[in-house]
Amino acid sequence: MGDRCSSAVIASAMAAAALLGCGPAHAIDAAVIDAAKREGEVVWYSTQIINQLVRPIAAAFEKKYPGIKVRYTRANANEVAVKILNESRAGRPQSDVFDGTSSVVPLKQEGYVLQWQPEAAKDYPDIYKDRQGYWVASNIYINTPGYNTSLVPKGSEPHTYQDLLDPRWKGKMAWNALPSASGGLGFVGTVLAEMGERDGMAYLRAFSKQRVANVAAAAREVLDQVIAGEYAIGLQIFNHHAVISAKKGAPVDWIKMEPATGTLSVISIHKNAPHPNAAKLLVDFIISKEGQQVYRDADYLTADPAVPARDPSLKPEDGHFRVRFFPPETIEDNVPKWKQVFDDLFG
Amino acid sequence: MTSSAEAPSWSRSSARQTTWIAGLLTVVLAALVVPPLIFLLQGSLIIAGAPNEATRWGLENFQNVLGGRRFVGTALNTLVFAAGSAVIALVVGWIMAWIVERTNAPLKGLAYVTAIISLGTPYILYVSAWLLVFGKAGPVNQLYRTLTGSTDVLINIYSMPGMVLVEGFLWSPLAFLLVGATLRNANPELEEAARVSGAGVWGTIRRITMRLSLPAIMALSMLVFIRAIEAFEVPALVGLPGRISVLTTDIYTNMMARAPPDLGGSSALSVLMLLLVLVLLYIYARLSRHAERFATITGKGFRPRPFDLGRLRYVAAVILVVDFVLLLLVPMLMLAWISLLPFFAPVSAASFKLLSLNNYRTVLASDHLELMINTMLVAVATATSAVVLTFFAAWLAVRRAPGGWLVERLATIPLVFPGLVLGVAVMQVFLRLPIPLYGTIGILIWAFVISYLPYGMRYSSSGMLQIHRELEEAAAVCGASALTRLRRIVAPLLAPALVAGWLFIFLMATRVLSLAILLAGPRSQTMAVAMFDLWGNGQGTELAALGLMWSMLMAMIAVAFYVMARRSAAGALGRA
Repeated sequence: MGDRCSSAVIASAMAAAALLGCGPAHAIDAAVIDAAKREGEVVWYSTQIINQLVRPIAAAFEKKYPGIKVRYTRANANEVAVKILNESRAGRPQSDVFDGTSSVVPLKQEGYVLQWQPEAAKDYPDIYKDRQGYWVASNIYINTPGYNTSLVPKGSEPHTYQDLLDPRWKGKMAWNALPSASGGLGFVGTVLAEMGERDGMAYLRAFSKQRVANVAAAAREVLDQVIAGEYAIGLQIFNHHAVISAKKGAPVDWIKMEPATGTLSVISIHKNAPHPNAAKLLVDFIISKEGQQVYRDADYLTADPAVPARDPSLKPEDGHFRVRFFPPETIEDNVPKWKQVFDDLFG
Repeated sequence: MTSSAEAPSWSRSSARQTTWIAGLLTVVLAALVVPPLIFLLQGSLIIAGAPNEATRWGLENFQNVLGGRRFVGTALNTLVFAAGSAVIALVVGWIMAWIVERTNAPLKGLAYVTAIISLGTPYILYVSAWLLVFGKAGPVNQLYRTLTGSTDVLINIYSMPGMVLVEGFLWSPLAFLLVGATLRNANPELEEAARVSGAGVWGTIRRITMRLSLPAIMALSMLVFIRAIEAFEVPALVGLPGRISVLTTDIYTNMMARAPPDLGGSSALSVLMLLLVLVLLYIYARLSRHAERFATITGKGFRPRPFDLGRLRYVAAVILVVDFVLLLLVPMLMLAWISLLPFFAPVSAASFKLLSLNNYRTVLASDHLELMINTMLVAVATATSAVVLTFFAAWLAVRRAPGGWLVERLATIPLVFPGLVLGVAVMQVFLRLPIPLYGTIGILIWAFVISYLPYGMRYSSSGMLQIHRELEEAAAVCGASALTRLRRIVAPLLAPALVAGWLFIFLMATRVLSLAILLAGPRSQTMAVAMFDLWGNGQGTELAALGLMWSMLMAMIAVAFYVMARRSAAGALGRA
């Protein structure tokens, strides 16, 4: 909240300030840190990779705030939602902080999410944070096509959605067929949003003749199969995965096909968090420059525009390509419709 | 026990003890099985509305399962897939078990190595290895293209035969261990009598050996058939890319399209499977009503002697080698190849320069000790509890004790529970209980015991059917109580089946992924979490290294246990 809305203001003034555009951003003061230290720990239900990200974040946080231990579990977004819902309904919430691309929506609807954003979020683009303060993005995901450079020589790869209709790619493409934005559903959603309902459906009908292989596994595994040569092109793969593998020498590259699909990994605090102050401290840390640098060092695409990715060209603002972002609410609202189209045309 | 007038008193006290055992066991099994069962039935009848809308009751979930898109096609695919997998698992498992337990073929150890290592390998790795071997870019099709100059593929693994083979192979160690345990106790005199009466090798197998293992064959068909109908992984990984859908592919993708997942469809399918299981159990019960037919362990002593195959024993050895190569060596070599690479590269001369031990170094450098200890604790506790419970349950069921009918059903019902339904049900139970077990490994063990009861039950009761009740009757007349009889007579004779069941459950429990991840709290993380982390991370090559080392470690523990148990069992049966 900064100087403009100092911590001394009374409650009604805070509400007024929020209306005036201060937003729900809150500064961390000594009182929160002291209270967090008394709580002693913070529990993070994560969908992020432990070895790469969760552990380094925990280590950096524990170094900055000695005496507060970060405990964590990792599962898929669906499982995280199941756990939090069941624990909360039984009145025994175990988690303080959780993340995911869209699972915040049902949890918010049942009233289990705190409206709170750290001060650092004020520098984030509007699309990366919830206006009501339920979530803020810690990192972004960009889904684009990736291709095997030994099977498809550089320069001959498709560049546009129209290029994908070329008969030479028939039967040579694969995507993740699980209901996820980083898969066929996200492709359908992006095409419909970009081209409009009528032209979009016409495009998808033409595209269904390409017989894309439905791989019922995460986008990362689709990319692995592309690297192994099973398919020439993987659709909706994560662009940073292609870069990580290429760095190891794998014959793979990603395509700046516009618009790419963008989703957000958003972080939220449980309304009845057992360690509410430590929870705020952790979210504040993750959104701060310090936390974002840990994300960057783990090869993630940081949400903070001031912290470039390790390979800056992966992020739309530095790589200069257009992305259509789907915030959690849009994903949650549209998945049934996208899935219907996907099942009809590609299932 | 000195005068005949006292006879009714031992029989009464023994019956009282049996009633106690039955009562206690019913309570324990009901506590385990009934909550998830209620949750399943409830889930199958609850219709989830749009987000924010209230839920209501109805039969739509069943309608969706039975009237889904292209229902006839997917239902047929499902039946072919499930029946085919059961047949493959049975044929492979039975032949291996027969050769190992009943013949004098050389190289028998290979069959154990194959079964144990493949059971200990996380199935995602095992299935991926198959796909990499037989996939479009795999060495088999590459070799074919090089030799013929064709641009096509020789083998299309993304097909129904591909699905059936992979699923069948995955279950064949179960068949091998279960049939093996029963064949070991088969009385060779029957086979010898058949041979003497002029039956050939095949005639003897068909008319004697196979008939004697009928309960085991029935039990296996049920386990594999039901599990294959509810399987999602193999149809998803192998079938979907080839556009072959089964009932579960639609159900599971619909389920996962919502957060929290909509359990309606999979619950409804499970309820339908539950009806099928009850029918199968009824048939099984009719079959085992004449349990004496299968009882080869009687008051008359015998010594299992191997069947002399003559020269055919070299043919048998070749079969063992083929099994070993196909089910173990090929996938393991593929995994070993991947584990030495920085990324998934096809087998080629160019890839050889990429080979290094880096993945092994990374795995050994990361600290998995706590996870390993948790996993071992969970697996040992699960296997032991499930085997102990089903030992008593099978005894009550096969001896037709009061309550035996009920415990048999209670112990078999979990076969139909989908993982997520079981997980959520167990979660809810422990969240409501005042005891602080939620978030500990206790809840993992609880859930795993439930899901492995049906396997333990089939191992124990197939073995129990072979033990003629006259042995126990003799002991009872001599004054042995029910517990004494169980301890001194039944348990030692049942040892081969119990050991095989323990081994199977132990190995399965070390490699479970999704259930372990769902129920793990911050303080109860297991190896599943580490494996899932590498998998989701695209560190498949590192996962291959971890998976290989892990399955070797598990195999060593399993073999050590097996050798130990077999020695003590051999002692009990008076065999060398």
